[in-house]
Amino acid sequence: MHKGARPVLSVNQLSKAFSGKTVVKDVTFELYPGEILALVGENGAGKSTTKNMLCGLLTPTLGQIFVEGEEVPEIQGVEQGISAVHQELSLFPSLTVAENLCINDLPGSALNVDWHETQRLATEQLAFLGVEIDILANVESLGAGKQQIVEIAKASMHANKILILDEPTTSLTVPEREKLFSIMRMLKERGVAMIFISHFMDEVYAMADKFVALRDGTQVGTGYLKDVPRRELEALMVGRAIGESAFDLHKPSEKIALSINNLSSHRFDKVSLAVASGEILGIAGLMGAGRTELVESIFGIRAASGDIYIDNEQVSPASVSKMKKKGVVYVTEDRRKNGMFSGRSVKENSSAAGLSYFVKQLVKGLGFSGEREAVARLSQDMNVSTPSIDASVRQLSGGNQQKVLLGRWLATKPKICILDEPTKGVDIGAKFEIHKKIVAFAKQGVAVIVVSSDLQELLDVSHRIMVMRTGHMVGEFERENFDAVKIISLAASSVHEQSQQVAS
Amino acid sequence: MGMSSIVKLLKSYPSLPIIAALLVLFSSLSPYFFTAGNAESILLANSVVLIAAVGMTLVFLTGGIDLSIATVISATAVVGGVVMAQTDSVFWGTSAALLAGLLFGLLNGICVGFFGLNPFITTMGTALVARGIAFTLSEGIAVKGTPEVLLDFGFELLWGIPYIMIVGIFIVVICSLAMSKTTWGRQVMLFGSNREAARYCGINTRLIETSVYVLSGLLAGIAGMVSIANLGNALPGVGDTLLLLIIGGVVLGGTHMNGGEGSIMRTVLGVTILATLTSGLNLLGIPFYDQLIVQGVLIFVGYTLAMKLSRT
Repeated sequence: MHKGARPVLSVNQLSKAFSGKTVVKDVTFELYPGEILALVGENGAGKSTTKNMLCGLLTPTLGQIFVEGEEVPEIQGVEQGISAVHQELSLFPSLTVAENLCINDLPGSALNVDWHETQRLATEQLAFLGVEIDILANVESLGAGKQQIVEIAKASMHANKILILDEPTTSLTVPEREKLFSIMRMLKERGVAMIFISHFMDEVYAMADKFVALRDGTQVGTGYLKDVPRRELEALMVGRAIGESAFDLHKPSEKIALSINNLSSHRFDKVSLAVASGEILGIAGLMGAGRTELVESIFGIRAASGDIYIDNEQVSPASVSKMKKKGVVYVTEDRRKNGMFSGRSVKENSSAAGLSYFVKQLVKGLGFSGEREAVARLSQDMNVSTPSIDASVRQLSGGNQQKVLLGRWLATKPKICILDEPTKGVDIGAKFEIHKKIVAFAKQGVAVIVVSSDLQELLDVSHRIMVMRTGHMVGEFERENFDAVKIISLAASSVHEQSQQVAS
Repeated sequence: MGMSSIVKLLKSYPSLPIIAALLVLFSSLSPYFFTAGNAESILLANSVVLIAAVGMTLVFLTGGIDLSIATVISATAVVGGVVMAQTDSVFWGTSAALLAGLLFGLLNGICVGFFGLNPFITTMGTALVARGIAFTLSEGIAVKGTPEVLLDFGFELLWGIPYIMIVGIFIVVICSLAMSKTTWGRQVMLFGSNREAARYCGINTRLIETSVYVLSGLLAGIAGMVSIANLGNALPGVGDTLLLLIIGGVVLGGTHMNGGEGSIMRTVLGVTILATLTSGLNLLGIPFYDQLIVQGVLIFVGYTLAMKLSRT
């Protein structure tokens, strides 16, 4: 099946150690022109380190690298036709698309840049990829999806042999993702080899030819995806078989804990919903559908008009302190931006939202006695793996950070719990643990709202799923009628079809 | 003491190696350096800076800066001096100085905390206003008529420590306890670490941010009164040269400008470094302007060291 007899890149027992500690061991594979290799593994498995060695950001400690059959000590990157699109965008927001595309090698001389040539090159590149983006628009004025495409256009401009894509789809909507995939297919046809890193197994199976699976820094498997069923690959990544993930849910009570009526803001319009004590309500939808804005408005972080009732008592307009008093908690989707105090300890992070649940203060506001013990107990309950509760929270893995944040809020004994992407950036093992916690919590009578872009997650843990699209609630499914295909198409269909949709 | 506890100590107090080096260096170069008399003069000369640096530390911990602190010292000193000249009462003078400091602090705090204005610009504006008030009220000259009681207070010792430094130590202790033992202190740290996360936790972020500027103003007021006790008169320009010493002390101690990392005890050490340096260089007869160069270089070196050590 190889067009060229010679692999464009071949690595043999590539390893990397930092100050004596091996973090990646024995990565071995061959990549032929036009092939897509998926690099898979849980968080912390060593994907990023491997990626950084493959794009030239890190020099391997051990191992051999052959580029087009010739052994090289390390990868140089662009000079060898290799380029990477990292998770963090590397574009200059205030520059135009054309300037961004050519920034690494501007035509003309240093003191006299040839802007016409810049624009010509940019136009050519975008036409080559078959995308329509205004080359004179500032990058910051584009949506996340288009920015990602500009990023790929920039990377593939200089890399005609190997393109490395690190989680390129996480911030994309479904149509944007399709566009990205079609660009990938086209590059593949032209013989560009790609290394594709993704959490989403369906994407891996849809796009890649072969895989390299990493676990705890070691390569645990490689081969052609057509020979390895998905369950088997997932088990390989986790190191154990994943159990049946859907839960046998209890029956929620009849008592409505939270209801909202015609809640509106500039990001969503006349949304009404109700959730009962003990019920888990999933909210599905695409990125940008207004789900986060909706739940943040319920929690009082954003302004909105309309009515919010808790136990049939009107509480709007909401404010964070008022909602906290009413027993509402909100676990943010963006840990880094508005969840974690990353320089502070696990202890301080755990008690940040409800000190009174951790500390007995004889005089209000004074003293922290008992905090240490209470946090230690909580960390154990939440199964947080940390060297000590005094360690700063940024030293923890994504999954453990998320458990700290969940613990922070669950410790306040909430009655209504809003979880926004509760398992984003969390590995499979921790994800299952978090799901168990959510279900156990609801069983105790807590009303839970889960917002998630991971539909499988919602199908697994929800009693009911509501679908949101461009600021409107467009459908509702009871657990016995869950239908992944219907939910996805409802969430992703265009606005014009909206009137024809009938919620089941 | 094991290796790990030394590492921990250096992480908490990254400026310790510099202090140790300076003490060894000056003790070996000058026989007068390590004497009670010299210690007394160091303590006398630095209580104003120490008190203000505590205020600056609180502001730094939230990720802000208070550029007005130095000229607010001048303004409050003049206000206190003028009131004392009229009433001959230390009580009324102190009350007036503290009230003035509080008002300047409130002005900064409300602008930054409630209106979201940039701390650098806001406090720069306040700094000019305070300086103008100081010179206008005093007509540009030292305000005379300081009560005897206050003058005595400026020179007398308790157990070998000047009273005005005891005021400084008292403030250090109170503010340190407030940071480590109160919910407010915890919230200041959390706010400085990530203000958005603090808001999502239901912490009253506006109030927290405002409070540190108010305290900074109040401490500047105390520093203003201490400056009168120390120098004998209320001088309208007393704070003018102090700003860099105050910021330098905080930074050398290892409190981060971005907030959420640092402590008042670190600042105590940072201020000590600059105080020791000045005293040592004076004893060695180094001219004032050459001292500035040494101070500048030390701030570079010390800051780099502080950042490296506190992050390892």
